Amino acid sequence: MGHSYQAVQWNPNKKRYDALLLVSVVLYLGVFLGVGFVWFPEATAETLLLRALGTAGFLALHVILCIGPLARLDRRWLPLLYNRRHLGVTMATLGLLHGGLALLQFHGFGDVSAFESLFTSNPRWGSLAQFPFQPLGAAALVILVLMAATSHDFWLANLTAPVWKALHMLVYVAYGLLVMHVALGALQVESSPIPLVLLGVGILTVGGLQVLAARKDRQVDGEIGVSPGSDTGWIDVCAIGEIEDGRARLVLASGERIAIFRDGDRYSALSAVCQHQNGPLGEGRIVDGLAVCPWHGFQYRPKCGRSPEPFQEVVPTFPLKIVEERLWLDPTPLPLGDESGSTSGGGIRA
Amino acid sequence: MTVPQAILGALSVYLALGVLFAIPFVLVGAGRLDPDARQGTWGFRVLIFPGATLLWPLLAKRWAMGARVPTERTPHKEALRRSERAER
Ligand code: HEM
Ligand code: FES
Repeated sequence: MGHSYQAVQWNPNKKRYDALLLVSVVLYLGVFLGVGFVWFPEATAETLLLRALGTAGFLALHVILCIGPLARLDRRWLPLLYNRRHLGVTMATLGLLHGGLALLQFHGFGDVSAFESLFTSNPRWGSLAQFPFQPLGAAALVILVLMAATSHDFWLANLTAPVWKALHMLVYVAYGLLVMHVALGALQVESSPIPLVLLGVGILTVGGLQVLAARKDRQVDGEIGVSPGSDTGWIDVCAIGEIEDGRARLVLASGERIAIFRDGDRYSALSAVCQHQNGPLGEGRIVDGLAVCPWHGFQYRPKCGRSPEPFQEVVPTFPLKIVEERLWLDPTPLPLGDESGSTSGGGIRA
Repeated sequence: MTVPQAILGALSVYLALGVLFAIPFVLVGAGRLDPDARQGTWGFRVLIFPGATLLWPLLAKRWAMGARVPTERTPHKEALRRSERAER
């Protein structure tokens, strides 16, 4: 990036999403409490609030885990992906309120501290029906808070890739912990099968979408047609007219995807991994002469791979040539910022 | 002291040190790691405070090493590094 950090970079879309998010949460909690009071008149207000907050947070986590794969399967989901961060912070807040309320209600008035009580008051670790499910929720909560606390762009830029990978894997750990928190907790005292069915639907939806998205990624890679030994020497990519104007053709070479963008009769090859969060730059389009990453809109000049001023991002470029109306790619990256790889339609360059 | 007490005590110490670290970090350290943070707003500094409290050992190490914004390592950038080395 190349500008000073603010708390939130507001734009009209973000405000609209946040307003929608807030209304949804308030509506959900309101409906849950209202219906709860009518259907379960014996339940206390604290219990209903605890359940409303817990299920709201768990539901939000499902939405979060589904948005990523949905956006990979269908681009129309992308706007949701951009706002996932605020959804994540909202979810962590709901989890904190739910956990805090439980801590206060079940552990706040004993002889030992509430935190100690949380881990020691129920020692039946060997029992399935009476397993201490609350520490599972607490462990998940630690992960969710850690992720919310590190969601500002500053952390994106300054935590290294291995740390990011670890954080991303931890969401799934948190999800697993919460499934057990619910299955070993609330479901054990529940006589109606509806919550169990809902949990099953949730797990299948999250899991199914992940599998579908992974399969689509493999399909995209498969269509690229990887020729063996393609890490050195020129690769015959396609005929020059075959790439749609403003879009890219992907080639897998030197261990990663390379995007060959067409802008009118000019062709340029860029490493297809966005420098922001490793987004699929090759699935982006040319807008106003710049290749735009579909995930968060980072822009790159196709010729040299550099982001326009004041931004500092740069992705490697590769030599291209046109021989007898066919595009050829050399998979050895050029020095950063080198424009010499780009080529234009009519002429033949070697 | 019981085992849970010891664990909770260690966690408290970790978080207390984190808070102590986070104060100079959001004021000065963040700007050392990332020039964009030097002119950051107060809202920005408040928002990164919890993260700095939780991840303080990592950040303390980067700050002490004089580390700058890391660039993503991709196979293409690795290939570039290798070929630049070969040229030299
Ligand atoms: C310190 C952390 C936590 C504690 C002490 C805690 C405690 C509890 C308790 C006591 C229940 C049982 C409520 C009942 O049976 O009426 C419960 C249920 C539940 N919790 Fe948590 N929880 C924690 C964290 C979380 C988090 C982070 C989430 C998700 C974001 C979550 C989601 C749920 C859900 C979905 C239920 C089932 C709701 C229901 O009872 O119908 N919990 N939790
Ligand atoms: S990954 Fe965020 S803009 Fe490309």
